[in-house]
Amino acid sequence: MERENRFWRVVLLFLPLSVFAVFVVWPLFSSFWYSFTDWNGFNPDYAFVGLDNYARIWTDRLFYGAIINTAMWMVAAIVLPTLLGLALALLLDRQIRGARIFKTIFYLPICLSAIVVGQIWTWIYQPDWGLLNAIISFVAGEPFTHAWLARPGSALWSVIVAWSWQQTGLSMVIYLAGLTAIPSDLLEVCDIEGATPWQRIRRVVVPLLIPSTIVVIALSVINSLKGFDILYIMTGGGPFHSSDTLAMHMYNESFKKYLMGYGSAISVVLFLIALVIIGFYFRQLKRIDEIYG
Amino acid sequence: MARVTLENIRKSFGTIEVIRDVSLDIDRGEFMVLVGPSGCGKSTMLRLISGLEDVSDGTIMIGGRDVTRVAPSRRRLAMVFQSYALFPHLDVAGNIGFGLSLARTPAGEIERRVRDVAERLSIADLLTRMPRQLSGGERQRVAIGRAIIRDPEVFLFDEPLSNLDAALRVRMRLEIARLHKALDGVTMIYVTHDQTEAMTLADRIAVINQGRIEQVGTPMELYHHPANTFVAGFIGAPAMNFLDGAVDDSGAVTFAGVTIMPSQPVSRRGRATIGLRPESFRLAGTGEADLVARLDHVEPLGAETLLHFDTPLTVRVNDVVPAVEGDTLGLVVDRTRIHIFPP
Repeated sequence: MERENRFWRVVLLFLPLSVFAVFVVWPLFSSFWYSFTDWNGFNPDYAFVGLDNYARIWTDRLFYGAIINTAMWMVAAIVLPTLLGLALALLLDRQIRGARIFKTIFYLPICLSAIVVGQIWTWIYQPDWGLLNAIISFVAGEPFTHAWLARPGSALWSVIVAWSWQQTGLSMVIYLAGLTAIPSDLLEVCDIEGATPWQRIRRVVVPLLIPSTIVVIALSVINSLKGFDILYIMTGGGPFHSSDTLAMHMYNESFKKYLMGYGSAISVVLFLIALVIIGFYFRQLKRIDEIYG
Repeated sequence: MARVTLENIRKSFGTIEVIRDVSLDIDRGEFMVLVGPSGCGKSTMLRLISGLEDVSDGTIMIGGRDVTRVAPSRRRLAMVFQSYALFPHLDVAGNIGFGLSLARTPAGEIERRVRDVAERLSIADLLTRMPRQLSGGERQRVAIGRAIIRDPEVFLFDEPLSNLDAALRVRMRLEIARLHKALDGVTMIYVTHDQTEAMTLADRIAVINQGRIEQVGTPMELYHHPANTFVAGFIGAPAMNFLDGAVDDSGAVTFAGVTIMPSQPVSRRGRATIGLRPESFRLAGTGEADLVARLDHVEPLGAETLLHFDTPLTVRVNDVVPAVEGDTLGLVVDRTRIHIFPP
């Protein structure tokens, strides 16, 4: 019986594990390998170059720009959806009229693909007839034609806003679930002890939402590290690399300049950064688990 | 020290009325226990007193002040919850001093008062621990500490011992009784479904059933003079035996084929429900049995033995009974402890 069970376990695991091996493990190790070569992505002949690609990273000015942009992107992509999601959850958790409809509306963007979101916001940012400039023109009472996505100063932030608009719904839903899990008697203690609404949020609700915050931040970090498609559709990393993130830079080096070896080295660095952040996340999870069980 | 008065309190959730015209007067310094089966409305009543729920109708007075529409924090009361309701992110000191810190009390004073309360509750060595690191009894004490640090006039306890194991429950019961004495004059309102807790802790008990108060009285009043079969059946363990019977014109009571003349006069005549506590019987000597019944099950409890007869009847005797299931035993009824209820 036990032997038969083991047989079926192996058989049933084989298919998903093979898919995982072919589409995740193999490309991962291939990337590692290609990062030590000068492969251009097409030519079957390529040479082992050791750590040359990694050495080149140190002298790549665009890489540093991409690191700074990635840091800005990550911080904003974590902070904005987290704070907005928390604020929306706190607002909509109360028994207010239409809360259910608002929850659906705010959650809707996360159901759209990043390409669709990117396209919608590209239209919104359109300098001549975009919604944003139209509103600003209306409020200011004079024509306003700022090219949000075509100016180095505003391109990255414009994408961050679009990204936050999409991601906030997810944070909101996680926080709403977290709020539901807060035992009602803890909130009743606040009522009896005379906590003001602000004290209640700051001293009780927010600390009790730390497990949800950890999940929100982890998802934001992972999603923002993967954040490529929306940048690709809205700015392509431009103008003048002003919205180049590591993922974008890797793509440009690999598929536009055909430097697959160098692109792989960038992807390995991105992978290591993700590894450090996720390692930190798991350590925090363990700590949180010790406090909140 | 405050008197708590409920006047014609009603509470409905939608179309369902859970508290039905309840009036109750709780003296200052009194330990009042609200007891009743699950879902009878006793916790709702406590929540109405605390202000966590609004009354649908009626008035609540605390210390002569109408607090019906007053916020919970302004009613000068403290509440200990069934789940302890400790904040998992605060240590013991943080939990006890929570209310003081909300009121922006200086840190030094918070520390001094927290230590003072912790010492009174013998948890001074736990002040830096997190709630997760505490046992059930310790958590309960922290919850009580958070309540007493506020110097409330009224203490509300919502089934505070129901999450503890049997041995700890007995110990904490004693501690709560001591606390009531130590807090000299603080009114306590305690909700429980456990009639042993009610009997041992209360100055007076209010028995609640389906949102109504069935009877209010001292534990012994309720035990010896229950107003109806509900109170009689709820107070006392094992429960009172109820038998169909009748009272004839002379006042003699007939049940289970036996006719007995109670020692006190009986006002009711005709069909009745006869209530007999398990200890209202003794095993009969030769020729003195009032009734004879077949033994169904024997529960030896050490200090006493419970005999379950097929009548059905439960009898408590203080001796070890050498009888076994299936034996037929004679029983003598205590004439002074026969309860007559409407059928």
